[in-house]
Amino acid sequence: MKISINWLNDYVDLKNVSVSEIVDKLTYAGLEVEEVDDQSKKFENIIIGYVKEVKKHPNADKLSLCKVYDGKDDYSVVCGASNVAAGQKVAFAKVGAVIPNGGMKLEKVKIRGEFSFGMICSERELGLGDNHEGIMVLDPSLKEGVSFADALELNDTILEIAITPNRADALSHIGVARELSALFDLPLKYPDVNFKESGKKSKELASVEIKNSNNCPRYIGKVVSNVDVKESPNWLMKRLKSIGLRPINNVVDVTNYVLHEVGQPLHAFDLDNLGLRRIIVRDAGKDTKFITLDSKERKLQSNDLMICDANKPVAIAGVMGGENSEVTPATKNLLIESAYFNSSSIRRTSKNLGLSTDASYRFERGTDHEITKWAARRAAQLIQATTSSGIIAKGEIDAYPKRITKKKVSLRYSRIEKILGYKINNSTVKKILAKLGFEIKSTTKEKLTVMLPTYRHDIEREIDLIEEVARIYGYNKIPEVSKISVTLEEKVDHSAFNDNVREFLNSLGFYEIITNSLLSEDIVSRFGSAINLINPQSNEMSHLRTSLIPGLLTSISNNIKVNEKDLQLFEVGKIFEKVVTTKINDFKDFKESEHLLLALTGNRIRTEWFEKDSPFDVYDLTGFVESFMAKILAGNTINLKSKEESESKFDYAFNINCENQIIGSGGKLKKEYCTLFDIDQDVYMIQIDLSVLKKINVSKKIFNELLKFPKVYRDVAFVLDVDVTSDQVIHIIKEATTNLLHNIKLFDIFQSESLGKGKKSLAFQLEFFNSNRTLTEEEVEKDFRNAIKAVEKIFNAQLRGS
Amino acid sequence: MIDKINETRKSFDEDLSKIENLTSLEDLRIKFLGRKGLVSQLFESLKDVPKEDKPKVGQALNQLKIHTQSKFDELKEKLEKGQKSSEEFVDLTLPGRKRVIGSKHILTQTLDEIKDIFRGLGFSVYEGPELESDYYNFEALNFAPDHPARDMQDTFFVTDKFLLRTHTSPVQIRLMKEKKPPLRAIMPGKVFRNEAISAKSYCLFHQVEGLYVDTDVTFAELKGTLVAFVKQFFGQDIKYRFRASFFPFTEPSAEMDIWWEPKGKQGRWMEILGCGMVDPNVLVNVGIDPEKYTGYAFGMGIERTAMRKYGIDDIRILFDNDKRFLTQF
Repeated sequence: MKISINWLNDYVDLKNVSVSEIVDKLTYAGLEVEEVDDQSKKFENIIIGYVKEVKKHPNADKLSLCKVYDGKDDYSVVCGASNVAAGQKVAFAKVGAVIPNGGMKLEKVKIRGEFSFGMICSERELGLGDNHEGIMVLDPSLKEGVSFADALELNDTILEIAITPNRADALSHIGVARELSALFDLPLKYPDVNFKESGKKSKELASVEIKNSNNCPRYIGKVVSNVDVKESPNWLMKRLKSIGLRPINNVVDVTNYVLHEVGQPLHAFDLDNLGLRRIIVRDAGKDTKFITLDSKERKLQSNDLMICDANKPVAIAGVMGGENSEVTPATKNLLIESAYFNSSSIRRTSKNLGLSTDASYRFERGTDHEITKWAARRAAQLIQATTSSGIIAKGEIDAYPKRITKKKVSLRYSRIEKILGYKINNSTVKKILAKLGFEIKSTTKEKLTVMLPTYRHDIEREIDLIEEVARIYGYNKIPEVSKISVTLEEKVDHSAFNDNVREFLNSLGFYEIITNSLLSEDIVSRFGSAINLINPQSNEMSHLRTSLIPGLLTSISNNIKVNEKDLQLFEVGKIFEKVVTTKINDFKDFKESEHLLLALTGNRIRTEWFEKDSPFDVYDLTGFVESFMAKILAGNTINLKSKEESESKFDYAFNINCENQIIGSGGKLKKEYCTLFDIDQDVYMIQIDLSVLKKINVSKKIFNELLKFPKVYRDVAFVLDVDVTSDQVIHIIKEATTNLLHNIKLFDIFQSESLGKGKKSLAFQLEFFNSNRTLTEEEVEKDFRNAIKAVEKIFNAQLRGS
Repeated sequence: MIDKINETRKSFDEDLSKIENLTSLEDLRIKFLGRKGLVSQLFESLKDVPKEDKPKVGQALNQLKIHTQSKFDELKEKLEKGQKSSEEFVDLTLPGRKRVIGSKHILTQTLDEIKDIFRGLGFSVYEGPELESDYYNFEALNFAPDHPARDMQDTFFVTDKFLLRTHTSPVQIRLMKEKKPPLRAIMPGKVFRNEAISAKSYCLFHQVEGLYVDTDVTFAELKGTLVAFVKQFFGQDIKYRFRASFFPFTEPSAEMDIWWEPKGKQGRWMEILGCGMVDPNVLVNVGIDPEKYTGYAFGMGIERTAMRKYGIDDIRILFDNDKRFLTQF
């Protein structure tokens, strides 16, 4: 919202306060000033000049050579305007000035052989209007040499203030002035709206009937007759322009002016276009269409509140007037509407229509039902002042079916201290509240009771008053504590597990990524039953992700595009799946689970002096799973089980099992998924459901005695059929041996024609020990022979090298 | 015999002088010092020496043995040393065999730092769902239905009653419903806003919520705690200010700004967090007596904080996951 400091001065005298103090105080009090626009800066180095003489330019027909006096010196200036003449007072931009419209910086220039030390400006060049027919000729009484901004009172400062949704009362100049009066302890003055009324009574000229008093508790109508609709006087246009509004005509401008003055939206009807000169406030009902004054047809809902005449709707209450009753240059008689509407009703209508106006913005935040009469009188007063012949009808029509009672709230001084941790003087408390318009009804030693002003809808309770006191007193004056007590309740850390996951993966060389949870339907539906947004930004982001895979593949794809092809990435994040086919009505209807996805792609090593290119393969993947799981599950063993590939997104698909539960799966991502993301290199992935992994009981770590007796090792190599897995052999060896055998390590795989077709050799190292004694040669030898026999028998294997 | 000994010594010295490497030295050892070498043979033949000559010959033999052995050892050591220097020449300018240590995303790292500071102040860490109900995200937090305050947070809806949480504040409600005061916790997580993606905003970001509810929690303590936080996070010299603001779930409400002066640019105040005293309506909604208990709450955006700290000016780069970016942190 734009606020003019010159305008504020009408209500609170800020002559002795600097702009930066105003900005600071307002900001600290919660009216955040986002921008400060010092208008006079635009006119720096532009002064009032006196044109002493005008000669024809010796080398150009359409140019003149002028002598401009700035009160001290004469300047030679080339001017192209035909209306320049000796004796004029003009806006003279000196060398160094920046032309407000266009931003050109003036320098000494030679134009057709003659020097020009500045420029005489047109209205358009000064950014003050559209006129560029000639230079702007100023009031001859202005004194040369004075700054142009001061001379024309263009020295205003415009503040852009962000008003929080609770502060409807501050959405006007008087609202902001009221804050300032409290902040600087200055008196607040309202314009006087007592004036002579000479016409008939408003009541005799029009009537108002409220049919829905819930949504329209009060409606003031005031008649002004015999007006002439024309351009507004300069002062009014200047004020509106200063806050970015476009002047239209005196009637519309006055209603806008009063809105920005006091925050009450007004509407002026052409009284002669109102059927039976009657206003009826009712629900739209059967009326479904309405043309607003911007000539657009609006679709109405039956409960939208409408302002109607005897026959038809003439305005959408609180939002926008209708074309059919608009004020036109031919309008003679006006009915000024100053109403109080239910904020929820206006908000609903404004939302339904997708139409937000200065009026609806204020009504939906809550206006002041007590200012309605004042605002109507203020508008009548100003309209009369802007026309030569306006006649203000006597009194107002005040339709106010149900009186709104004012509320009282008590404030305990002790409570202020309890909340703030700081004692504010009782008299200061009283003063702050009084300045903000709270009428103090009674005071005791312990508390005071105030009547709430009707413009403060945000104040209902004691705590609200405490905030008012604190923010005007100044948050920065409330001292910070220098020590706190630490309570000793149980400390919980929901994030610790995932933090460990991240750290283990980092130590294995993985980088963490974070990707968008919103994806297209096409993508998410490939991975599960997706949940859609009812108001997405775009089709690319219309659904919640059902898997972390698409996000990670997008990242891989983008990296490959910038030639980063060797990647070890992971993401920890939530995925969402619908578990019902109907609409989501309950938390049970969908599943939100936390997943981990990690991926390898490209090379483990890009050729180095000690090794050649070495691409990642599935054993890197299983190796990472094993290392990671060993750490995260400390003690619990996992196993990888091959999985039916046709059902999986992976080739070489496997499940990760622990305690008979599947906690994840992985493999080499199938080509079709890679292609979908423009990736033409292998991607190995593991996805783990962290919510399942988290729940696995990790046995408490207990110290294991270090082995005191020697270990005995035996190596053996078998020639086997190629399709025998290492795990199968290990299993048989275990079965054939005693508990002296503790570890079996596969240390060599060899495949060659020399072994025979379809054969391979697997070599194992067997580790034997007993933690209580030294082993004898015989017992080890016995186990070893049993192992060999069993493998030979079961797999029809041959001992290699025998 | 003595001549033989001298001859052997002479031939040993001669052979030794020709030796250039360890292999030929080994041959020399076998020839003279081996089990069946020339020196051993001489010792063998000592038994045939007449008794009276034995001491003399024996002494000469011993001297030969000492001489050959020590000369051999000497040369062996010399050769070994020489070999080391040529075989084990190390070019330290070669790149070593590196092992990559990955890293957490910069947002996680920033959050870690924030968590560390608050854990040190006695805060627990709680998390909650991202797909929330209107009740937890708005209603219980004192956002009246139909109130313009709801416009402060552009919301992605899944149905009219379910939505992507717009802030981490619903976790406050969940926590207060689950446990009784004293409650002191931070609640980090992902939140969503229906805002167009640009350098300044993204459709999702991360927040940390803070909550402390007990019998004597005050605004002065809120200020003290947050000041301690920003000083620890941004540096002890950080300039800050508190100004009044509005959130439906706190009263009084404030925003905290820090003074920000990027290199070569003009300094300005920048909002880093919102905070306030927990609104009594919120306490009533979760069944806590607001006369007995008071509380404070705060919330800050992690992206904003990280961008400030590391001088990042486009939020989108955080979600591009470009390796050249990831490996910088």
